[in-house]
Amino acid sequence: MILIFLQSSVFSLNTLVTLKVLESNERDTMAISLKLIPHLLAWFGIVLILLRGFAGRRSVVTVASIAGFVIGVTGTCILFRSFPVAIPFVVVKSALGVSFLFLWGASIAAIYRSTGRGITIFQGERRGNFPLGAGIAACMASIVAGAICTCGLPAAGSTLLTLLLLAVAAGALAYALAYSAQALDKLLPNSYTVSLSGMLVAVVALLLCSSSSLLRLDLFSPLSMKVMKGVHDFVHQFMESILIPDHLFIRSYIWKFIGLLFGKEVGFWGGLVIWFIPALLIAMAIGFERLPSVAHLRQGAKRRTVMAAAIRERRCRLVIPLLSVVVFATAAYQSSFPSVEYWDPKPLPITADQSGEITIPKKGEIDLEDGKLHKYLFKQGGREVRFFVLMTPAGQLTVDLDACAICKPDGYGQAEGSVICYYCKTLIPLDTVGKPGGCNPVPVAFSVKGENVVIDGITLVNSWSTTVQATARVKEGGK
Amino acid sequence: MKRLLRTLFAAGSSRAVPPVVIGLFLLLYIGVAFFTDETLIALMAFTRRSFFLAALLALIPLNCALRLLRETITYLKIRRVLSGKPVDSIPELFDEDVDLHASPFTPELEGRLAAVGYKTRRSDNAVGAWRGISAFPARLLFLVGLFCLFTGILITTTSRTSNRRTIIEGEPMPMPDGIGGVVERITLANSSGSILVKTLTMEVAPSNSGQGKRTFGLYPPSMYGGSFVYPRYLGLALYLRFSAPDMPAGYETHCSLNAYPPGKEDNVVIPGSPYRIVFSLPVPESGGERYVSYMTGNITLQFKLLKGKEVLFTGSAPAGGEFVRDGYRLALPDIRRLVITDFISDYGVLFIWAAGVIFVLAGCLWLPIRLCFPRREMLFRFDSDRTVAYSRSEGGARIHVGAFHEALDLVDLKRDER
Repeated sequence: MILIFLQSSVFSLNTLVTLKVLESNERDTMAISLKLIPHLLAWFGIVLILLRGFAGRRSVVTVASIAGFVIGVTGTCILFRSFPVAIPFVVVKSALGVSFLFLWGASIAAIYRSTGRGITIFQGERRGNFPLGAGIAACMASIVAGAICTCGLPAAGSTLLTLLLLAVAAGALAYALAYSAQALDKLLPNSYTVSLSGMLVAVVALLLCSSSSLLRLDLFSPLSMKVMKGVHDFVHQFMESILIPDHLFIRSYIWKFIGLLFGKEVGFWGGLVIWFIPALLIAMAIGFERLPSVAHLRQGAKRRTVMAAAIRERRCRLVIPLLSVVVFATAAYQSSFPSVEYWDPKPLPITADQSGEITIPKKGEIDLEDGKLHKYLFKQGGREVRFFVLMTPAGQLTVDLDACAICKPDGYGQAEGSVICYYCKTLIPLDTVGKPGGCNPVPVAFSVKGENVVIDGITLVNSWSTTVQATARVKEGGK
Repeated sequence: MKRLLRTLFAAGSSRAVPPVVIGLFLLLYIGVAFFTDETLIALMAFTRRSFFLAALLALIPLNCALRLLRETITYLKIRRVLSGKPVDSIPELFDEDVDLHASPFTPELEGRLAAVGYKTRRSDNAVGAWRGISAFPARLLFLVGLFCLFTGILITTTSRTSNRRTIIEGEPMPMPDGIGGVVERITLANSSGSILVKTLTMEVAPSNSGQGKRTFGLYPPSMYGGSFVYPRYLGLALYLRFSAPDMPAGYETHCSLNAYPPGKEDNVVIPGSPYRIVFSLPVPESGGERYVSYMTGNITLQFKLLKGKEVLFTGSAPAGGEFVRDGYRLALPDIRRLVITDFISDYGVLFIWAAGVIFVLAGCLWLPIRLCFPRREMLFRFDSDRTVAYSRSEGGARIHVGAFHEALDLVDLKRDER
């Protein structure tokens, strides 16, 4: 039975990919199918967890999951068809962000409920186990999972017919996988139960793990960057708030300690803390749950039996949250070490002429208008400046420093549709390169004279000195 | 009315209030982060301007105060009940309660409890037993600290005013609302302290407004005229005279130079002319004290005279010195030390400092109590042939529950024997 399901799912997967990539060859189809497998496995895990969590609502969960997956795939395709590419990514990423925030709220409610005396904050456990609650949860999770799968497919034009066929293929694939999950669920021992909070953490962990392999859906790297900035701002505001004197009066070794709070590592470790805390809180909430009162039992052996059974049952419910921690760790690893190759050419040394102008031909050995990042290294008076020239998708040439105004100047690499800041892993859409602000590369004034791009050397050096060297000093422990 | 007040008190003192309020602020922070990189500063500005956000933030200190009241009442009730006095709603005070159809054989029960380290007190119809020290004082301190912290944050966020002024040696102390005493001396010296590398002292003479002679240091900042004096940067106050061949009448001005640390450039623009003078302090040889000029008062300024973008000449001159070349004349009759200082009117700082101290005290008190002497309590109330037993523990729950069960077994055994 499972074999038949697997065969049909492989067939549907190939159909799905072929429909989405109409013009690609067979090898591409195989490669993309392989890339989709982790996303489908994540969805399979989600369905399995939901089936376990909503025991007794198997048929509702299965049908809602299949429907949700199909809606997710086709809905995202329609979004890609109707809006610029960035919009569907923003929508799916926002949905992931909201689900992570929701998990945070649920985890805090869970810990408060299990440690408080007589506190009832969250009635979700009882309400969620209605058929409607189970169906909505399964449908929502599957919509997001389906959307992630679609974002993992390469962009291609689609007609109404291909959209219809895509829905049918996605439905067949979802059907095969959902019924495989149902079959597997029946094989698992009944003692492995899942609490509502455990189910939530597992579903969100699998969604985030699935999305972390796609650069534009990854949440962990932007989270780390925001934490780094947040900590920096907080430390600065804290010192201002309690009137701590400026750095010039404080010993350098103390500044070295304070400087640790301004580093990239703080963003990474702070991001990890925020990333893992919901799962750990839910595990702790289960661990802190009060054992049943056995004081009314007058036989010690019976008391011990009841307590042992309760402790065993509690341990079984801990399995899913603890496995979720592993899934979260996988997501963080995928985000920190993405398997994407960036276009990152070695900077070419370049000099200024007598008047201090740097002239780069648009069509020389290097074609500046090929849409790729072209890096240059300019040296003057013992100072080095890295910058790049790029033709944006809108056909505008832009000259920018190979650094932003926030992070240490680790530079940028180019991936599909975006450049990435190596320091904080923020993706900058190519359309916005050349605009100042945030983690965007710092734009530099230039002019196009005939077939050449002309940049003022002094402007370039000053721009590097005023913005980039200041950020480098801040990030390395100064103020 | 009484019921409404009770409901409000229960809601206001709920443990859920701080996470809910902080969660809302976190959501707001995330929302603001979409629009600006200066998220925290923007959020603080919103809170300052919005009554709703300030009221939302005020819920946390209010909640702390109500929890303080609630937990104090609970603590006093537990003390009363253990000493055998009547109290309403006893089950709410304990973790667990059991109803047994037996009356306790109190001397043996007390003996058993004493054997496992519990002190007991017998009254007419109850036996109370306890061991260890209550963590309530530490809890009380923690809640007071929390109250102070959030009150401080609320006051700081909503009412802080900051006025940046330049304090110049020999000039009256500039105050946000008037003029203070004359700044007699500004001293920068090396410090042997483990945190501060330097000490900065500003001595201010008595003022006409009744302020006595005052000395201001770095930390903790002193108050002057209701504001904290918060030194930020060092600089120089310069009086210069300049004349050029095309400006025979000359020009003289007082200006302040933000020229520290040495090497940093600041400039003075001669109004109505193409001239600009860029000043800097010479960078000491490697390993030398960077602020030696400020510390000793022996100040020599390097300068660069520009006419438009053209550098006419460079040179240096000490305080009181003069530089003349090609019809140009630059005199520096007076150079004084200055400190750019913020006058901060913010009483929230005091609360935040107090919170820091109280948290440390609470931690120092809580940790040994919780680790070594956790409070465990039992109460047996009996009425002819019925006994209700109650138990609670602040730590060491497993051992305590074992002792409680044994005591219950003993009570039950006596019923069987009778």
